[in-house]
Amino acid sequence: MIRCDEVTKIFRKNGSEVTSLDRFTAEVADGEFVAVRGPSGSGKTTLLLTLGGMQRPSDGSVQLAGRDLYALSPAERARLRSSEIGFVFQMFHLVPYLDLLGNVLLACPGKPSAEVRQRAGELMDELGLADRASHLPGELSAGERQRLAVARALLNRPKLILADEPTGNLDPENAAEVIRHLAEFHRGGGTVVLVTHGEAVNAHADRTLSLEQGRLVAN
Amino acid sequence: MSVWSHILREVVFRKLNALFTLLGLAMAVTVVVASQLLAEADERETRRVTRDMGFNLRLIPAKTDLGQFYRDGFSRHAMDASMLDRLATQLTNKVSFNHLVGSLRREYTINGQDILLVGLSETYVAPGQGKKPMGFAIEKGTIHIGSQVALVQEKKKNDTMHVGVRQFAVANDPIETGTPDDITIFVRLEDAQSVLGLAAKINEIEAIDCLCLTADQDPLAILRKEIGGILPEVQVVHQRTLADARAKQRQTREKVNQFVLPSVLVAGAVWVALLAVFNVRDRRQEIGIMRALGKGGEHIAALFLGKAVLLGLVAALIGAALGTWAVLEFGPSLFPVTKKAIQANWPLAAQLIMATPVFAALASFIPAMLAVSHDPAETLRED
Repeated sequence: MIRCDEVTKIFRKNGSEVTSLDRFTAEVADGEFVAVRGPSGSGKTTLLLTLGGMQRPSDGSVQLAGRDLYALSPAERARLRSSEIGFVFQMFHLVPYLDLLGNVLLACPGKPSAEVRQRAGELMDELGLADRASHLPGELSAGERQRLAVARALLNRPKLILADEPTGNLDPENAAEVIRHLAEFHRGGGTVVLVTHGEAVNAHADRTLSLEQGRLVAN
Repeated sequence: MSVWSHILREVVFRKLNALFTLLGLAMAVTVVVASQLLAEADERETRRVTRDMGFNLRLIPAKTDLGQFYRDGFSRHAMDASMLDRLATQLTNKVSFNHLVGSLRREYTINGQDILLVGLSETYVAPGQGKKPMGFAIEKGTIHIGSQVALVQEKKKNDTMHVGVRQFAVANDPIETGTPDDITIFVRLEDAQSVLGLAAKINEIEAIDCLCLTADQDPLAILRKEIGGILPEVQVVHQRTLADARAKQRQTREKVNQFVLPSVLVAGAVWVALLAVFNVRDRRQEIGIMRALGKGGEHIAALFLGKAVLLGLVAALIGAALGTWAVLEFGPSLFPVTKKAIQANWPLAAQLIMATPVFAALASFIPAMLAVSHDPAETLRED
């Protein structure tokens, strides 16, 4: 599914260089649930964004389903993200002026068909949000917001979900709920790469990648 | 969800940003509409007022001694009245003179009172201009008398009075003007020709020059060349004080207009652009997540430019209505002479309704491009 070869990402700011990923090499197989751990600043988010085609590495290559991600044009990468990748972020990143249904449908490329709308409704139902479809994200609890972000990530039936500390802002109960939904996606054959500090994921992850100062220290 | 629906929801959500953008654009459109309508009203008013200031161009027989002319106020030489017709046939919108009136002026004595007898022809204007005649029209069988004439001859409006052997009715309420008009009797040109025994003769053609040159330019050279080409038998006397006053009034208005419009456009563009920049900053995370969801740059740009177009359209409707209303409401007190001519300019309003959305989109273009080129990873990593 994913293959990273010697991926390096260096940020240059005010004349100094910070190496966020240092010759990172790893593979994630189809249908795998991989947890990524490491202290703050170890490059976890950079890795996730790089895997999602959102951040071009300074060096090395990232292959997704056999395609060199950064050899694609920005438009091709955008299409690939839309069709095959779902993102879940710690801060939810919901659009504040769209209602819940609008936020879920935002993931749909183009005008949502009746079938897509039905799927959005089903997802919201599964995630316990159906009765709040017309609410704005600001009216939800943190747990509900993250479940909404998960529904949005699942709308296009992606093959891969990249989750960046999705439970970081949640209480244990809500954290377990979100992990349970991601695990369900995994059980359905999906691939999950999840950055986490928490323990809730341990029961579900097939393996863990540990990062320190941008380097893979344990696999 | 359509882009328009998306834009509408964002506008409702970020009300203040949208409201300030709308206010800025509506104010700009209001000022443009109002300034244009006021400029048109001012143009009419200026034209009327300067017309009422009198002629500034006097064409007299070439043989006239200017010393005598200035001393007596008229030429002692006469010329054929047909010259007036010759000049009148040349009147177009391209020549530098307009409002031709032929006159015959002579001193005259009535009951021992020395007066000035002035015969006036009808007014000739360039075709299609629809301008009213200069001064006053003298009805057949009537005369207009000056205040001193009325005093000495003990005449008032509707009294009868003999000029030569003919009897006329006094058509005006004589008022003191402090000018030679106070000792003047105005009659129709043919009556003056008859009384003075100068059939088919005039001794002056009065006109208004249409040049609006500044004091340091030389309109007289232009007028002499143009009129001399048609009537070589006349000399041209140009009353610069009147002409300059008229030119300066017009030029002042034009300068104001030249300043107002660009200033409003620049201020409006800066205002809209600044608010669009703030809007982009507010929506960085939204832009980031849309990128993550696979939305392309054209989608992001459409959200920002579409918003500008939408607000521009609404602002243009509000501004055009407000500007028109303001001028219709307050214009008459500013331009009392031509107040009846003040009216809405619907073609201008239509142009602004089409142009303002484009203007708003252009002003928002750079912020929209900032949004498009914004690195989504930068905001998404800010968790």
